[in-house]
Amino acid sequence: MVDPIQASRQPRARSNLTRGWPFLPAGVVLLVLFLLPMTVMVAFSLWRTNSDLDVVPDWTLDNYIYFFSEGTYVRTFLKTLIMAAAVTAAGIATALPFAYFLVRYVGRRWQRIVLLAVIVPFWTSYLLRAYAWQAILGEKGALNQFLMGIGLIDEPSRLFVYNDLSVWLVLLYVYFPFAALALYTALEKFDFNQLNAAQDLGARPDQAFRRILLPQIRPGVITACIFVFVPILGEFLTPTLVGGAQGALIANLIINFFRGLQYTTMAAFSFVIAGFVIVVLVIFRRYLRVEDVVARG
Amino acid sequence: MADGIDPLELMPVSRMARPLRALLRGWAGVVLGFLYLPIAFMVLFSFGESRTPGLPFRGPTLHWYQEMLSNGVLMEAVWTSIQLAAVATTLSTLIGTMAAFPLVRSGFRSAGAARIVFTLPIMLPGALIGIALLIFFRRALGVDLSFWTVVMGHIVFTMPFVVLIVSARLQGFDRNLEWAAADLGASPARAMRHVVLPLIAPAIVAGALISVTLSIDEFVITFFTVGPQSTLPTYIYTQIKFGVTPEVNAVATVLLLGTVLLLGLAWAAAGQARRLSRIFGRRRPGGGK
Amino acid sequence: MNDWYRDVSRRRFLQVSAVAGAAVALGGVAAACTTGASKKTGTFNWMTWSDHYYDTQLDEIKKAADIGTNISELADNAEGFAKLKEVTGQLDMLSGDALWVPKNFDEGLVEAFDINSLAVSKQLYSIAREFEIWTKPAGYLGYPFGWSPIQIAYNPKFVSPAPDSWEVLLDPKYKGRIVVENQPVEVVAYMAKLAGIKDPYNMTDAELAQAKEALLRLKPNILKFAQQNTDTVAALVSEEAWLATSNLGAEDRVKDAGGSDVVTFIPKEGTIGWMDAEMIVKGGKNHDLIMPFLELAEQKEYIAENFIKYGRPLFNEGAYKILVDKGEQERADRYLYNKPETVLTMTLKGPGVSTDAAIRVFNEVFGA
Repeated sequence: MVDPIQASRQPRARSNLTRGWPFLPAGVVLLVLFLLPMTVMVAFSLWRTNSDLDVVPDWTLDNYIYFFSEGTYVRTFLKTLIMAAAVTAAGIATALPFAYFLVRYVGRRWQRIVLLAVIVPFWTSYLLRAYAWQAILGEKGALNQFLMGIGLIDEPSRLFVYNDLSVWLVLLYVYFPFAALALYTALEKFDFNQLNAAQDLGARPDQAFRRILLPQIRPGVITACIFVFVPILGEFLTPTLVGGAQGALIANLIINFFRGLQYTTMAAFSFVIAGFVIVVLVIFRRYLRVEDVVARG
Repeated sequence: MADGIDPLELMPVSRMARPLRALLRGWAGVVLGFLYLPIAFMVLFSFGESRTPGLPFRGPTLHWYQEMLSNGVLMEAVWTSIQLAAVATTLSTLIGTMAAFPLVRSGFRSAGAARIVFTLPIMLPGALIGIALLIFFRRALGVDLSFWTVVMGHIVFTMPFVVLIVSARLQGFDRNLEWAAADLGASPARAMRHVVLPLIAPAIVAGALISVTLSIDEFVITFFTVGPQSTLPTYIYTQIKFGVTPEVNAVATVLLLGTVLLLGLAWAAAGQARRLSRIFGRRRPGGGK
Repeated sequence: MNDWYRDVSRRRFLQVSAVAGAAVALGGVAAACTTGASKKTGTFNWMTWSDHYYDTQLDEIKKAADIGTNISELADNAEGFAKLKEVTGQLDMLSGDALWVPKNFDEGLVEAFDINSLAVSKQLYSIAREFEIWTKPAGYLGYPFGWSPIQIAYNPKFVSPAPDSWEVLLDPKYKGRIVVENQPVEVVAYMAKLAGIKDPYNMTDAELAQAKEALLRLKPNILKFAQQNTDTVAALVSEEAWLATSNLGAEDRVKDAGGSDVVTFIPKEGTIGWMDAEMIVKGGKNHDLIMPFLELAEQKEYIAENFIKYGRPLFNEGAYKILVDKGEQERADRYLYNKPETVLTMTLKGPGVSTDAAIRVFNEVFGA
């Protein structure tokens, strides 16, 4: 679908080099500082660690096979996927109304203030904030004291902490700003007059929302999902701090190998996880399309 | 939306608008409360007497603030972390924003694949990246670890966030605005400065904010790429044997206050600058909302 | 209309790249120069735990002998080892535990030295200068610093009768009331001690199976894994946990945080423990500063002060006398300061043949 007027405005083709040069610094960083070092890690994943804790270049698929042969890793990975999905869903659900409120009903200057207010608390050490959550959710913590104070419960509950619920809650807390920023960015460019126009033409508010707003902020929503879901697959600190004995997510198991200098196993497991994510992204690439569609009028 | 002008006053709206707005405002309050609840406790513990931050609270005391000030290693670590975050974020945002343009616009056949490659650093655990970089820096490049190797490590895993968020914003960008600018005689660079950049500014700022957040508490990659320096996260996360003391809470509180103060000053300064420019009649660049 | 960057001609592009490249190269040269400069100003690079020094001590040494320190933090022996393996001479001194010391030596990363050539070493308990695992033909492998056994701490209000064995951790009475450290290999080692296994870091498959069986019984009793000692103390203070494993000093820290009295003991089957030392890195750029530094830093006055601040036994005998004079004897004795031979009864932490297997066992038990 080529608009002849637009086509006439395109420059005649130049070499890819001059067209894509702003990509170069990022490309160099990615290639030199990431892909190249990762090839070493790929090699590690196919080697083994001997009993002296040294990496030995014996080629083997054992590390990968071990991930699938020992049931605990697949089960934990599934549990992690579910947790990540649950946090992502909750993150979008909580951040979207927040971002919507900011963009629609708050003056521009105050928007910036509120955004900063959202992110600045996260410039403190995560460990300290997790300890604060322990103090809030714990048996003698603030939440229990509050609930007892208003008479809702008679004795302190141990339900709030050191289980999957607290992991979910604290993960939601940690990743909320990422979702909020991504959604804010998407909503901010949306022209709300369209909603009014739709309603003038007889649409109900929820119809206007669903069929006009959501499709236009879809790239932002996808970005928010990526920002929350993907890093959670690598989260190990939160499960340790508030997850209790049963709280381990897949990254905990991987990090255990890391702390024991089993880099070969760790690398293989990491690539299995990454491979899975890549497969998902490829399958859903239609929704992730990045190239510019013809500009909307 | 213009400053302070409430759309509800200007346009005809549905009956649901006012209660909806009240509901959303309440929700925003709940969210902010949720975000600051642990912060309140964190600050509280910095004034507690016990060596272990936590409840029950006994105090208050300024002891830990005094300890913090006399702890040279901790102070240096804080300063290094601030510099690190500043440099890494600046570079990361710059590089990431630049990369977003060709990714979205120049019709790379494999732009989708490029985007997936950009997401890779987020998928892999920091530990893997840290070890890989350590081995790479020392064995492949033969360089000593230093402040700059950490910066590079941080750029690797923060840049994807910038690229993703800026490119999402660039998608569906109304090119007519740029073409109109060209029709009015603006060079491409001028159009970029006055038309495109202001409109994607929220995405750039969001990317930068995310980069700072990620960089300022990053431990594993930092540990493996840092030279003989300390950073705040490495200081905190290595207190395993005997636990952190409220000194760390004190540092966090001071940093929080400092950041708020700084941003407040910047905001006030920006407000003044705008007032002055209005007085002197210079038109603000950028159009749109 | 062109995009702003499409107008760039090839020539312009190359010019800009050249300038950018030059800037980066200059930056690299500048960085290299600064690393070189440190040699002349008498500063060396030390990777250690934060309780191995305190600020006033370092300031005084700097003033007295113009030897400064660049401290970088150490989290874990394994990570320190991995980093030292790559950075080698960029570090000058590394602290390490027990069997990690000879490991570092075997890998050619640290060097042996004549400990008796340091006058300050006479202040050490003689046993500390003669540890077999740290003795090599070429000399001693590290300057001994401190040690601690792992103890079990319990709250007598909830735990009775008074326990004396690892077995208490498996008692179903204490379901969900126990905190242990988030260190898989060590936790498996605790279970190995319980099962009477002699060498928990070098277990056979049969022994691992025994340890795993004990671990499965431990699992329902665990409330959480402590990332840091702070977690352990907080859990004991809030009485969410009634039992915990910890380094020495838990009872003092719990008391100080407002908790009730907690009792600690060393299990009768024997326990795991660590003792650490300062190792001299082979080929460190500022290698010559280490011995003069140790001569000053390990003086009994500093060590005594360090004990008062951080509270665990140290190997300096001279410091004990100072502590007695300062009225700290009760605490020092409680921490077994004057009984460094305890170290010989502990199983020392370190790398072993069954490290990988232990991790696998742990993951199998505590994974989903």
